[in-house]
Amino acid sequence: MPGNETKPSSETPTHIALPAPTMWPMVTAFGITLLVTGLVTNLAVSVVGLVVALVGAVGWWRDVLPADRHEHVPVVPPSERAQPVQVAAGRVEHLKLGQAGHRVRVPAEIHPYSSGLKAGIAGGAVMAVLALGYGLIRHGSLWYPINLLSAAAVPTLATATTEQLRAFSSTGLAVGIFAHGVVSLLVGFVYAVMVPMFPRRGWLWAGIVLPLFWTGLFYGTSKFINPALAGRVDWPWFVVCQIAFGMVTGYVVARSERIETRQTWPLAARIGIESQEERE
Amino acid sequence: MPASSLNPAVPIPQAAAAERPSIPSILHEWVTTTDHKRLGLMYIMAGLLFFVISGCMAALIRVQLAFPNNDFLPPQMFNRMFTMHGTAMVFLVGMPIIAGLMNYLVPLMIGARDMAFPRLNAFGFWIFLFGGGLLYFSYLAAPGLSGAGSAPDVGWFAYSPLTGKAFSRGHSTDYWILSIMISGIGSIASAINVIVTVITMRCRGMTLMKMPMFVWIVLVVAYLIVIVLPPLTAAQIMLLLDRFLGAKFFDTQAGGSAVLWQHFFWIFGHPEVYVLILPGFAVATEIIPVFSRKPIFGYAVMVGASVMIGFISLGVWAHHMFTIGMSAMSNTFFATSTMLVGIPTGIKLFNWLGTMWGGKIRFKTPMLFCVAFLFQFLCAGLTGIMLAVAPFDWQLSDSYFVVAHFHYVLIGGLLFTIFGAIYYWFPKATGKLLSEKLGKWHFWVFLIGFNLTFGPLHIAGILGMPRRIYTYDVGRGWDVWNLLASIGVIFQAVGILFFVGNILWSLWKGKKAGDDPWDAWTLEWSTTSPPPPYNFEVLPEVRSRRPLWDLKHPTDPDWKYE
Amino acid sequence: MAAASSPTISAAAEWKLPSKRKVGLICLLATESALFTIFVVAYLFYLGKSLNGPYPKDILSPPWLASVALLSSSVTVVLAERAFLRGNLGRFKLMLFVTIALGVFFLGATALEWKRLITHDQFTISSNLAGSTYYSLVGLHASHVVIGLLLLSLVWVLSLANWVGPEQHERVEMLSWYWHFVDAIWIVVFTVVYILGR
Repeated sequence: MPGNETKPSSETPTHIALPAPTMWPMVTAFGITLLVTGLVTNLAVSVVGLVVALVGAVGWWRDVLPADRHEHVPVVPPSERAQPVQVAAGRVEHLKLGQAGHRVRVPAEIHPYSSGLKAGIAGGAVMAVLALGYGLIRHGSLWYPINLLSAAAVPTLATATTEQLRAFSSTGLAVGIFAHGVVSLLVGFVYAVMVPMFPRRGWLWAGIVLPLFWTGLFYGTSKFINPALAGRVDWPWFVVCQIAFGMVTGYVVARSERIETRQTWPLAARIGIESQEERE
Repeated sequence: MPASSLNPAVPIPQAAAAERPSIPSILHEWVTTTDHKRLGLMYIMAGLLFFVISGCMAALIRVQLAFPNNDFLPPQMFNRMFTMHGTAMVFLVGMPIIAGLMNYLVPLMIGARDMAFPRLNAFGFWIFLFGGGLLYFSYLAAPGLSGAGSAPDVGWFAYSPLTGKAFSRGHSTDYWILSIMISGIGSIASAINVIVTVITMRCRGMTLMKMPMFVWIVLVVAYLIVIVLPPLTAAQIMLLLDRFLGAKFFDTQAGGSAVLWQHFFWIFGHPEVYVLILPGFAVATEIIPVFSRKPIFGYAVMVGASVMIGFISLGVWAHHMFTIGMSAMSNTFFATSTMLVGIPTGIKLFNWLGTMWGGKIRFKTPMLFCVAFLFQFLCAGLTGIMLAVAPFDWQLSDSYFVVAHFHYVLIGGLLFTIFGAIYYWFPKATGKLLSEKLGKWHFWVFLIGFNLTFGPLHIAGILGMPRRIYTYDVGRGWDVWNLLASIGVIFQAVGILFFVGNILWSLWKGKKAGDDPWDAWTLEWSTTSPPPPYNFEVLPEVRSRRPLWDLKHPTDPDWKYE
Repeated sequence: MAAASSPTISAAAEWKLPSKRKVGLICLLATESALFTIFVVAYLFYLGKSLNGPYPKDILSPPWLASVALLSSSVTVVLAERAFLRGNLGRFKLMLFVTIALGVFFLGATALEWKRLITHDQFTISSNLAGSTYYSLVGLHASHVVIGLLLLSLVWVLSLANWVGPEQHERVEMLSWYWHFVDAIWIVVFTVVYILGR
């Protein structure tokens, strides 16, 4: 190994063979240069160049034929050789599983998707209660918020007057329940995945940040998606409803039992050879 | 083996010399050397010399363009200036400095004593040097269209039919052709040498996937040179035949196609710019891990990305020709392939960031240059992708936007990493550290100057300023940008002065470097600074990508994890 | 550290890397192939585009005999190599001489054809596009034949003086690979110029 001075010096040679220095490559290069220079100056230069190049080539050949010419370079005395590589002071600390930087995809333990389902239902229910409450208190009608939501998909509702929106509409109810239910479940799934990604009390932060995010998104796009609703949104109530949804969903997810991803298991357990109990 | 009879009396530098060697014997040593380290240093010194000369030409160009309707340089001289500046920078600065880095570092990094063909190595250097001399000799010897002694003035890419016998009288264009042709032979020789060395001379245990990334990238560069320089040689031979023997290759009167020259030139020219920038990547991939105290993020992906760049870059050449009227199909194909080649490059950029992320970064001068490289190369890459959009290119082709783009690549990308490389490996080559203080002055002054010069030129280009014009009118909105660009040159010049001063001062009074001043991990740091002629007393054996890390941390060696 | 616990490759295992000369020659052949490719592309690009005669289809006739000679020289050079490996230096010198002779015959035939084209048909490198592409492509190939013949002759002369021993085997092998390459290029050139080009 380089610089390994514990080896006896009899292993290190006293001379090392290296290719002998030679001027013939340079002479050949010069000859070729003269050869082409003659094309733009005087052909006599080219003739000289050809001769020089041939002389250089012959000299070069004699350097390599019959065998490469070597010179023996003396090995420098030990005091001038490379120092042995010092072992670094201190040990390298190994990262532990789950520690920042360790090669698992965090989080190493996740919430089951079923918790997302349950959370979505819970959050959706709470949000529905709040929204219906708004409809009753502000507009005296339970059907008002439901119809507004459905107005995105139902054309008659989209062009309806406020009076008509307060009235019961079977299509509105059906579409509204369907839309609200599906979206609540889907967002519930999203929460199941994302809550562990938020710092500390994930459900709290997820419950505030995510609703604000999609509120902003809705604010920007509602004109195109649901014009009837866009003009009529009572933003404070809207935000309250979304945050309520978020916090309830987040809380339900966070309270669910975590399951381990298999990243932290040894390979044998992961591919199913050993059962979980035997791992301990 | 008989001892050499050629130089019995020439002393080896490291051995205790009986008396100081005389100047002729030193000269003789350097002229006859086949040692890859000496040749590498000669390549770099020659490249830096041409850099200063060509840089002065650029400064003159910027003086002429600082004000509208300036008459500092007459138009014919201006044409020669930008032709010589471009030609010299690509062929006499970029290629040799890269060849120098490759030749110096590859044997050391793979644990070999020399390159595979040391005499061919020497030949390559000398023919490059003589070729460069031939190019500048044209100033003295080529009677051009106007007056005695003129250098080529047809642009660095020498488009037909301007280069035909009828339009470029005299021999100035021939000097361009011949000097580049013979320098090209040197480049091909170097490249073959690198490929053979890397494939056949790695030390025991160093499989291809255990080589330093520098060696991998340089292998891709060498392969590109071998494939891509012959098209240039072929096109130049055709042009020579046209000019000397009346052949009709690019003679439009006889049915020849001037566009064919463009195709052939850019089949060479585009991969050539990857040949120029990939070594910059190689240097960054060595410096960033060491100064972030982390191994390179995603070694296998970096290898894959480099190889992909090598292949895809062969298929993008006509993005230099969007404005000549190719079919919509061609334009689309080349626009797509150009965008595609940005993907592996982007992957590498993310890998460098990933290396720095979570590392303990030491902002020494080599690292400063590499960090600046990351930012500037990003700008360059993005403007490149903008130009890949064919309609965008129809507006901005041959404008200063393109000039700004490629100077961001070549200066902001390549030159900055070359500076980093010099600050990083100068201690290894000379045994002395370069001054950190002067290095930082060099870095900051040059950074300001470079960005001040080429940042505003993007805007001038968008405002319509074409390339290769020797002056411009007032009132086009270009004045302030050109003036700023020219002021930037002053800063760049001062930065270079700091650099040269640093080198000279450190050679004289620099701190002793020792074997391994940066606490690095590749094999070149295991031998003395400077290394003995034979590199290693005993050829090393490696078991991982970071052999010195394994030695420094025997309880936690890399081969446990690779 | 070197021979410590379970090294990646055992100390006794061989660390074999390809031969320098072989890889070097392959790189050289790759570079030459790239060079020839551009001339072939130019030839094909300009097919039929000459503005004036003489036109290839009128004046070019495929040099069958010369081609057979050149391709046979690949066979004889293999025979020479085999003889060299077996230590049969006499046969080696003979086969090498035949190879050179066949190559010289090829060059001679090419020279005669060019003489005819230039003097009789006024077909030169500057007469039209076809002339430019023809002479440059065939000429480039011929120059490679010349270099090959010079190197083969050098080896032959050295072998006459008994300076070529068994340790030169790889060098001789590389020269034969180069010669095979020259022949392979001729197949391509022949097809492009004399078959496709008419």
